[in-house]
Amino acid sequence: MADVSAARKPPTRAGTPRDGSLWWIHVVLGVGGFVMAFPFLWQIVMSLSTQAEVQSVPPTFWPAQLQWDNFANVFRLLPFFSQLRVSLLMTIIQTVVQIVLCTFAGYAFARMRFHGRVFLFGVVLSILLIPSQVYLLSQYQIVQSLGWLNTLAGIVAPGLFSAFGTFLMRTAFVNLPVELEEAARLDGAGPLRIFGSVMVPLVGPAVSVLAITTILFSWNLLLWPLVVSTRADQMPLAAGLATLSGNHQIDYPVLMAASLMAMAPVLIMFIVLQRRVIDGLASTGLKG
Amino acid sequence: MAMDAARADTVTARAGGTRSDIPGRPGRRGGRASNSSRGRVGARRRTDGLWPWLFTGPLLVGVGVFYIWPILQTLWFSFTKWGAFGGASFTGISNYAAMFADPEFYRSLLNTAIYTLIVLLGVPIAVVLAWLLETPGLRFTQFYRVLFFLPYIAMPAAIALVWRIIFNGDFGVLNWAMSLVGIDGPYWIATPGFALLAVSIVGLWSSLGFSMIILGAGLKAIPRELYDAARVDGASRWRQFRSVTVPMLSPSIFFVLVVTTIGSFQLFDLLYALLGSSNPVLPQSMSVVFYFYSSGFVQNDKGLAAAVAMVIFVLIGLITLAQFRMQRRWVHQ
Amino acid sequence: MRKFILAAGVALAAAALVAGCSSTGAGAGSPSGTAPSGSSSSSGASIPSQGSSADGGSSTTDTGPAGSSESESPSSNTSSQAPPAADPSLKATLTYAVWDQNQVAAIKANLKGFNKAYPNVTVNVDVTPWGTYWTKLQTEASSGTLPDLFWMNGPNFQLYASNGKIEPITSQVSSGAIDPANYPQALDAMYSLDGVQYGVPKDFDTVAVWVNKALFAKAGVALPKPDWTWEDFQRTGKELSQKLKADGAYGAAAGMDGQTTYYDTIFQAGGQVISPDGKTSGYDSPEAKAGIQFWTDLMSSGASPTMAQLTETGADQWFLSGKLAMYQGGDWFRAALIGSKIEKDVTVVPLPKGKVQATVIHGVANVVAAGSKNKQAAQALQAYLASQPAQQQQGDMGAVIPAFNGTQQGFVKSMPSADLQVFLDELAYAKPLPISKNTAAWNALEAKLLPDAFSGAKPVADVLGQLAGEMNQALAKE
Repeated sequence: MADVSAARKPPTRAGTPRDGSLWWIHVVLGVGGFVMAFPFLWQIVMSLSTQAEVQSVPPTFWPAQLQWDNFANVFRLLPFFSQLRVSLLMTIIQTVVQIVLCTFAGYAFARMRFHGRVFLFGVVLSILLIPSQVYLLSQYQIVQSLGWLNTLAGIVAPGLFSAFGTFLMRTAFVNLPVELEEAARLDGAGPLRIFGSVMVPLVGPAVSVLAITTILFSWNLLLWPLVVSTRADQMPLAAGLATLSGNHQIDYPVLMAASLMAMAPVLIMFIVLQRRVIDGLASTGLKG
Repeated sequence: MAMDAARADTVTARAGGTRSDIPGRPGRRGGRASNSSRGRVGARRRTDGLWPWLFTGPLLVGVGVFYIWPILQTLWFSFTKWGAFGGASFTGISNYAAMFADPEFYRSLLNTAIYTLIVLLGVPIAVVLAWLLETPGLRFTQFYRVLFFLPYIAMPAAIALVWRIIFNGDFGVLNWAMSLVGIDGPYWIATPGFALLAVSIVGLWSSLGFSMIILGAGLKAIPRELYDAARVDGASRWRQFRSVTVPMLSPSIFFVLVVTTIGSFQLFDLLYALLGSSNPVLPQSMSVVFYFYSSGFVQNDKGLAAAVAMVIFVLIGLITLAQFRMQRRWVHQ
Repeated sequence: MRKFILAAGVALAAAALVAGCSSTGAGAGSPSGTAPSGSSSSSGASIPSQGSSADGGSSTTDTGPAGSSESESPSSNTSSQAPPAADPSLKATLTYAVWDQNQVAAIKANLKGFNKAYPNVTVNVDVTPWGTYWTKLQTEASSGTLPDLFWMNGPNFQLYASNGKIEPITSQVSSGAIDPANYPQALDAMYSLDGVQYGVPKDFDTVAVWVNKALFAKAGVALPKPDWTWEDFQRTGKELSQKLKADGAYGAAAGMDGQTTYYDTIFQAGGQVISPDGKTSGYDSPEAKAGIQFWTDLMSSGASPTMAQLTETGADQWFLSGKLAMYQGGDWFRAALIGSKIEKDVTVVPLPKGKVQATVIHGVANVVAAGSKNKQAAQALQAYLASQPAQQQQGDMGAVIPAFNGTQQGFVKSMPSADLQVFLDELAYAKPLPISKNTAAWNALEAKLLPDAFSGAKPVADVLGQLAGEMNQALAKE
């Protein structure tokens, strides 16, 4: 890793850099940022073009006329708001439940003592090692036997339990100083109180990261809701978008427009939550 | 922020050893919970009674029902033979034998390995970028952060289409840019080796944002005093990076490495979306998960598919274990 | 703890259920490859869709005024027009699974008519995108939760029929509710297994050549005649490419889509892709070699873009951009053309003649799940959708070419500037899409091996020899 850095920047003189020499950082970040964002810029262009322009050979770099209609068409082709509602509902439920379950379990794996703790944690982690497609049929039949096919419960159920989230929260708790716990215990607090009043408030940033990743995972969930439910008004947005890709024909501009519109809420969520992460970090001050 | 990667105790936990062989840092980080309570707490408690079970119960139940049970099923089915809809019959290890005799399997392994390695290149890049973002006095950081995070929130189907256009051999932006410096770009998506490279580039592009978040959080948590101390000692920014930043960040780096590796091994959707289902190059560029899908859905041999799934499981598990072992050597405690 | 025991019990129950019938999880990512040579659902309606999915999937219990579906007098040889002895007291809730959002409006119109005869039957239309449809269907079939009525295509048909997942239509034929003579014979045959017919064709697609008259005029080349031959095609393609080189346009295009390209030429050479009994490959015959060589020659003469170019940018895109003069495509392509900038320049000519004239025909069928709990209602729906009034409605609304004989005028009129009648005329020599019990397995072999033959990287005979060998192995496994 050291070598990569060496190749990237010229060595500076000893001493702190002042504003003048920050410009090259802006160049690097700017170029990097542009590369990251470029496909989205293109996506925006495509969403404002006609189907012919999108498919033209050679590609059209800027549409003759801005086709704002494409965005309006999204509402015509998809029950956008119902699906948005479903997506929001799904995401909120999964995020909240995951945060709760993973925080509790993460703390227990990190700090509590019980037989088989290590083994159980390993078992939980092991589910990450299998590609998600493998689970499909088995989970379908489990949900079926629970009678949850075609219900919101069925759509959200498997996503409520996260090994990644547990891993994350456990790591966060493990890095907290033991003394806090000891002190609280000496004061006579029971496990629940130690957990609630002492430990949890300190892992805010980790919770924010977990929230971001869960929101994203949940938002883009596609295959599972499609298979488990048969009603279009029960589909989340990602599934709805998939219906725009027909067998022989894909309406590219509308797909791009819909995709952008679907990204917007998450982007906003990210911007909002990101601040909290930074603030949370600032308030804890130290690494622990 | 306590986001640092999996700690040493997890390694020892997995390895089944005790904690005494870890040079634990005195002070804050010691006293990792273990079965042998060490003096500090005064051997007050062996177990916490029913509480841990209450805390972990719901998660364990959910994981057990929705994930572990399917895994066990898959294990069982990997030893059976059947087609699309049913009628399993026990056949021992014939599925595994068929798989290990199939050159396509090894091809898919190789492709997945190449893809993973390229995507992992994104980790050092992310480290540097995250570090640059933390430069004191830098403005517009919020803006940059959002830019770098955009790929992570993209909807895969739509963004893959855009990338196809970018990679277009005749008119794509990439080849156009390369032609400016005199390189004649290939037909990315239609040429065997380059197709995988294209997929890897997109994989790297989309995972960078996630890495940067984790690393950014880890960076923020490095105490100012360490930098100040280094500066007082006359260290340049570069030197500070090497001696302070990287070691203190190593737990986060480790975490990102593990998660990215596991994620890369699951390459499937991107492959399909970028190359297209009727692409002649697709069979040569297939990943292990693709091989799994092909066995189960194209050959309709679900027993074989289950065997592939088990092998993937073991493979990723071994690699992850290896990473945990190696962590001891370079991850700072 | 209690929760744990409860869940464990549930898991055990699930296990018992699963041990009974299922296979391991094998979900797929978005696109499913089980039927790469496509169903023939044509997407896109020529009429602006009536807010197709504002209420997507909700039921239609409509006892109100009639829809626009009253039929005209039946044409020549149709027998029954409506299911006999409709039972108004029949009560059920059905699920009808489809993959094309664009056809939902026409389906809803059909359902209005259906509900007049069966006011108490509720039908939920479930649209699953093409990429996920087969994954979902297999999952449902393995779990006993198949929809009551659903779309089936050729490549997947035998798999479901041979495993007893779909219900034959024999009872409906004998009661007169459905008469197979009303539909293209090739399709009836495609949806039959061992002499028993399972599916009722709902639409069909044939393949012809879409030509861009403007490009022909620009190159100064005469338009193809209806009885043109292979040599004419090759020559015209080459000439067009040469003359249009400055515009970066081509005369013709090869491709990997068997249904529109090499299956047709193999049939035209007098060969076949798979033997009628579905046990041997037809690729190792001189006729198949001629059929494949056709495309190799096309590419080597410069008439077609290269394999790499076509992989990145499909032939249809070339055509739509005005960069391809001749495009072999199905009638479904019409949907893409309507509203495009070349719409007025386009017309249709039949496929060129090899040793014989041939085209590939394929169509979607409605099938009833064998395990459906509402079989009577589902079969009533199946029969109704296949009836003349419903099919006429489908044709008029323009989304597809309906299968019922004589109802296709709506389709022909949907694009007056092009000679769409060609697609109907081709019925006379149409051959069904090659299928078997596991079509996807050898389709994958074609996709893997044929590109080298087309591009000239390997001799055609060698490639076909290998393909036939591997295909026979796959067929033996079925």
